[in-house]
Order: sequence, then structure tokens, then C-alpha cells
Amino acid sequence: MSEPTTTTLDTLQIGQSATVRRVGGDGAVRRRLMDMGLVNGVQIEMIRPAPLGDPVAYKVRGYRLSLRKSEAHLIEVEV
Amino acid sequence: MSQSMQTLPTPLTIALAGNPNVGKSSIFNALTGANQHVGNWPGKTIDKQQGRLSIQGREIEIVDLPGTYSLAAYSVEEIIARDFIVNEKPHAVVTVLDATNLERNLYLAAQMLELNLPLVIALNMADEAEKQGIEIDTRRLSAALGGVPVVQTIGSRAIGIDDLKESIYKLAASPQAPVIPKLNYGPEVETELRALEAHISAIRPLGGMYNPDWLALKLLEGDEELFSRLSDEGNAALVALAKAAIARVEELTGEDPELLITDARYGFIAGVLEQAVVRESTLLETVSDRIDKLVMHRIWGLPIFLMLMWVVFQVTANVSAPFLDYVDYAFSGPVSTWASAVIGLIGLGGTWFESLVVDGMIAGVGGVLVFVPVLMFLFAAIAVLEDSGYMARAAFVMDRVMRLMGLHGKSFLPMLVGFGCTVPAIYATRTLKNEDDRKLTAFLVPFMSCGARLPVYVMFGAIFFGAASGNLVFAMYILGILIAVGTGIVMKHTLYKSKPPQPFVMELPPYRMPSVRTVWRQVWEQTSSFLRNAATLILLISMVVWLLMAVPARADAGTFTDVDPEHSLFGTASGMIAPVFAPAGFGTWEASGSLITGLVAKEVVISTMSQIYVAEYAEEAAEPTTFVEDASGLVLGFGEAAVLTVQEVVNIVPRTLNLLPGLSIPEANFLGAAADDEDTSALGQVLLGTFTPLAAVAFCVFVLLYVPCMAAVAAMRQEFGTRWMILQAGYALLIAWGAAVIVYQVGTLIGLG
Repeated sequence: MSEPTTTTLDTLQIGQSATVRRVGGDGAVRRRLMDMGLVNGVQIEMIRPAPLGDPVAYKVRGYRLSLRKSEAHLIEVEV
Repeated sequence: MSQSMQTLPTPLTIALAGNPNVGKSSIFNALTGANQHVGNWPGKTIDKQQGRLSIQGREIEIVDLPGTYSLAAYSVEEIIARDFIVNEKPHAVVTVLDATNLERNLYLAAQMLELNLPLVIALNMADEAEKQGIEIDTRRLSAALGGVPVVQTIGSRAIGIDDLKESIYKLAASPQAPVIPKLNYGPEVETELRALEAHISAIRPLGGMYNPDWLALKLLEGDEELFSRLSDEGNAALVALAKAAIARVEELTGEDPELLITDARYGFIAGVLEQAVVRESTLLETVSDRIDKLVMHRIWGLPIFLMLMWVVFQVTANVSAPFLDYVDYAFSGPVSTWASAVIGLIGLGGTWFESLVVDGMIAGVGGVLVFVPVLMFLFAAIAVLEDSGYMARAAFVMDRVMRLMGLHGKSFLPMLVGFGCTVPAIYATRTLKNEDDRKLTAFLVPFMSCGARLPVYVMFGAIFFGAASGNLVFAMYILGILIAVGTGIVMKHTLYKSKPPQPFVMELPPYRMPSVRTVWRQVWEQTSSFLRNAATLILLISMVVWLLMAVPARADAGTFTDVDPEHSLFGTASGMIAPVFAPAGFGTWEASGSLITGLVAKEVVISTMSQIYVAEYAEEAAEPTTFVEDASGLVLGFGEAAVLTVQEVVNIVPRTLNLLPGLSIPEANFLGAAADDEDTSALGQVLLGTFTPLAAVAFCVFVLLYVPCMAAVAAMRQEFGTRWMILQAGYALLIAWGAAVIVYQVGTLIGLG
């Protein structure tokens, strides 16, 4: 295992997994992200982007979640 | 006996809660059967579903709350669900959980536990969970949740409903709350919670209204909605205390309490899962994963999306057409004839009364009912898309494009339906969950050129441009789209600029076979809601137009209901408006008159023109029919409409395949009927004399852009209120006038006139 590197969720490649560390943003967006289960320590996998590149589908807590890239960018992850 | 009557007096109220897409409505249907009614949440446009059932003689009222992931007050659904639970204090809450996705579903359940209400868990989709190899020990799940009853259900097949009823009844019979495990939010948060609770309990009316534990928790989460509500109620001091508490927690832990509390809920859930889940899903790839591979594919995703949308468009525009024609025929033919006959029998034939009933009331009712087939087909198509899980994928695929206009991926469908008919398109915005997205989409939908406007372009195109008429038609469609896109972009950067960004964050639910029952239920509810709400305004407007046409403007112009259009109040009003259109090149009372009746329905523009430009056209009376002919026409017409509907469904296949270059598969034609053309040759001659080609284009531009019709206006009012309706109509009229004038003036300037 190599050293974990910190990046943001929108940089993940297809099939790549990461651990959520921090959810940024504020107000409704942040609240919504946390309510959907994106909190510190949760595993998340990038499934695939939409045909036009944005939004992106992820698998988290056993279900599929789609986020715009701007939203995924708010989430700090460890790869 | 009398004692039990005293202890159990009023009907119990039970709320049904759950995430979206967990089969909540199938549980609701299974519990209540046909005993349902639909109302509105106070001040909200979302339907409120209620139902009654009786368990061992006890009357129970079930309220189906909107599907939510959380009880944070960031969406309309969440506010409705939370307000109902907190303010109405139902006797129990049934929370429906999807057994195939227990982890995220338990997040809502955890928040229900925080409310400290009697709770029943319906562990739904038990069959699907089993198929995926998931095994959940319901007894241990119940224990981990502090003794909350847990019932396994399969809502779609009404399995487990009796057990669920029994659990509800037991809770009702012994109203003490179950022992509920306290979630542990960590020492810093707990300390502040205790302090806030003490303050809340000391404010007496507040302690009675809210559960102090819950209120303290929500305040510490920084709940803006409660902050402003409490401040309005004169408890600004408490809000200040809460904000200070939040700051203290942040200072001590480096994290805000909102995050700590959410973390604690998911921590609690992890513990529950560890105890209750015997085996997790053994599937590496579910059916949904496989469908997604195709449907969300980099290359195939878009074509598949476009094809499905095309099919939906066909369903609303063509498949509904035979029954639409049938309703039209029934009301203008047999129903009117019979009404006239009955009125003749009571000796009022040929009087204003006959005109009121036939031309006013029956025509008005027909004008409402004509929308019923198209709405039913649209609602069915949307319900299937939603319930199958595809709608979320459609939004996923299209979001990038729609975002340019400040819209959501799901806005595409209403816009597309708008090319068929604006009225169902406005209702189609219901698929959008965010109120701002909905309003903006509905604002733009009327600029999509609907099917009823097409005949106007076609007629003017044929008369003035002959073989090149296709160019005019095409240009109108493109202009409509451009105006919508432009309006969207402008609104995004002005009206909506100051609004905080709304999360797109969307679940892609598992694919499921839609059940006929739930689809039909949605079709029925939404169609009847249209009849209840929008019908009144449509009827009112058609009566007003009838009245204007019936009243002579001058004493010598004729008598009530027996007057030339030109000399009626209608003609006079049209003449007064006419100068407004002079800069657009069609400032005649005839043109503005047909535009006014176009408000009733765009289909009427041409027939009004025929009536007032070509007098003999109106005189040409229909062949008189006998009662038997009418009756058999009604019956045969229904059968014919049914056959044609099937034909249109079949024809979706060739029409779709013919979109591919080089293919031309013939369409089915079961009845061997030829397409009927409206004879407009006489009208054409007159129009050539009164319009210049440029004025004809300007007229088409106006028809494209101005208020679609009164039914669309009524739909807009039903969905978004009078203010938004007036705003849209005013904007549309202004844009339509401006565009028509620009076309005419610029055209004249560069010598096209």
C-alpha cells in the first residue's frame, strides 16, 4: 500500500475507490451531501460519468448517487 | 364498553414516512385500498394523500408524507413531512425502509427516533433483498432500535400488511412510547444539548409545542428554518443562545455540530447494521448495474435517452389523438344536437338559452374534457418513467445541457412534452422536486411550439410561401426554442442569481417493474385533480368569450346571441385592440379577434378566421343527423378511437425506426382512413388580400409566442399560483408583440415587405 493521498472526489477515475474525509460547501448543498451519507470515513467508488462528462455516478453505502462535478469537488477524499 | 369508548374516542392519525423509491405508495395503497382522498398541504402545491382504514373497529387516518431522505428543512418535501410530524403530532409514524438499502434508509429512521414518537418500521422489498442474498434479522433490528416493532413487507404484493396493521393497532392500544435508544452525539454536543433543553423547557409554550430534546438538537444543527420561525415567534433570545452554543462546540472540537450530529447518526446506524444484518448482498453486479451500463453508456446513453423521450412524445402527441378527436366530436356533434333537441322540446329552441347551453356551456365542458386523454397518457408515461427508475437516468444524461439555461436535467421532459401540448407539459414539471426549478421550467415551456399552433403556420405557409412553407414552420420551432433558451439564461443571471445554489445530488434508484395499480392511481389522481382545479377557470373564460360574442355592441347591431361577430362586444373589443398590432403589420379587427379566440384554444384561430373573413364558411350548416345516427356515432366513434389508439401505439415502432437515415417503413392504417385536410382555399384568397407575406410571418411569430391558451393559463395557476401565471402571461405577450414588431419592421426596412 502506498501512502494515501488527499484529493477531491471529482478527480476519481472510473472504478476508482476512495475514503471520504471532509465535506465542504455550505447550506443546502453541504447538508444534502451529508444527509446522503457522505461523512468522514465512508467508502465511495466512481461508477461512470454521464455521456457529456458531467454529472458523475458514484456508489456509496450500497446505493448509486449522482453528483455534479462542482458538488463532488467540495468533497475531500483519501485515495 | 363505555370505558373503551372513552379511552379510544377520535380516529387515530398515523403518518407514513420513508425515502423516495422505497415502495411507500404501494404500502399506502395496500393499507387503505380504495379509501383514499387527495388534498393539498397548506400553502404547498404538493398533493396530500390521505386514507382511512379500520383495524378491529378502530378508525385510523393515514397520511402519506412526501418521500424524504432526511428531516432537515432544505426542501419542500422535508418541510412538509417535518411540520406534519412536529405540529400535528400523529399517534404513530410508520417508516418504510427499503431492505435492499438499509444503511441509507436507516438515516431517516434515526431522525424519527430522535423525535421520540411511537414508531413502526415496515421493512419493505423483502423479496428483492432475499434475491440479492441479503438477510436481516428483524428481531435483532427491532432490539437495536430500542424495541421499535419491525414488520417485513412486500408492498407491491400486499404481503405483510396484516402484520403491519396489527403493529399499528398495538401501538394505538398502548400509547406509551417504546424505550428508545439515545443516540450519542459526543460529550461536547451532549453538554450543549442539556443546556439548551433546560432553556427550552423553561419557555413554557415552547415546551408544549416541541419536544425539547428534538428542538435542542435541531437548533444545535443550525436549522435555519427553525431559527427564523422561532425569531418570528419572539424567541430570538433562544436562537442567540443556540448560535453561541454552536460556536462553543466548534471551538472545542474544530468541527461544527451539524457534522458531528450527522456523524453520530451514521455511527449509530453502523452499530444497528452490525447487529441486525446477518448477510450482506452476495451479488457483485445487480440487474440495475447491468441496465445502467447500457443506459448511462458514454456513446449509447444519449441515443437511448432520445429514443425514449421520442416515444413519450409520441404517446402524448399521437397516441392520445384519437380519443381527443372523439371527445371533440362527441361534444360538438351528438351532445350538442341532443341538448338542442331537449331545449327545443321545452320550447326554448333558437333562443339565447339554447346558445348559452350549446355554444357556451357544452362547448366549454368539451374544451376541458378534450385535455383528459392527453393528460392521462402523459401521466401514465411519467409514472412509468418515474417508477421504473429511468427518470433519474434521464436527468443524469441531460443535466449538462439543461444546466446552461439554469435548469435541471429533469426539465428536459416537460420541455419536450411542450411540443405536443403546453397543458400536460406544465403538469409534467411535477417530476422536478425543487420548486425554483419547477417554476422556471414551467415559465419556459409555453415557448415550445405546441401541436395546436402548427396548423396556423402550415396554413399561412401554404398560402404565402407555397412549396417553401416548410421553412416557415421550421423557423417557428427554432425561434420558440431560442426564446426559451434566451429567457432561461437571462433569468438564471438575474432573478435566480441571488438564490443559494440548489443541490443536484440525486439518487439513481434501482430499476423496478412499475405496477399497473400504482401507475393507474397516479393517472387517476392527477387527472381528477386537473378536472377539479383547472376546469373552473377554463369554463369561466369560455363563458366570458361566449358572452362577448353574444352581446351586440350597439342597439341596432342585432339582438342578444343573434349578432354578427363584427358588431358584437367581441368585435368592438377586437377593433379597439387592433391598432396595437399595426406596427406588426396586422392591425385589423379580424386578426386581433382571431388572436383573442386563440386564447380559448389555438385550434380556434383558423376557424375564427374562417368565420369572420369568409362569411359563407360559417353559413355552411352541417347535415342534420338523426338520434340513431348520433347514438351509433358515439358508440362506433368510441370503438374507432380505441382501434386508432392501438394503431398509434403500433406506429411508434415505424416512426421511431424511420428516424434512422435510409429507412422508410410504412405505418399501420387499420381503418384505411385518409388524413383529413381542412379546406382553407376560400380563406386563403381573402388572407392573400389582407396580409402581406411579411405580416403573415409576424402573425405566425405572435401566435408562436403569446399565451398558449386558457387551459395552459389555468394549469399554470393551479401549479404555481396567480402571481406566477400573470407574470408568465404578461412576459409572453410582451415578447410576442416585440418579436412580431421586430420581424415586421426590420423586414420592411431591409425591403422584404
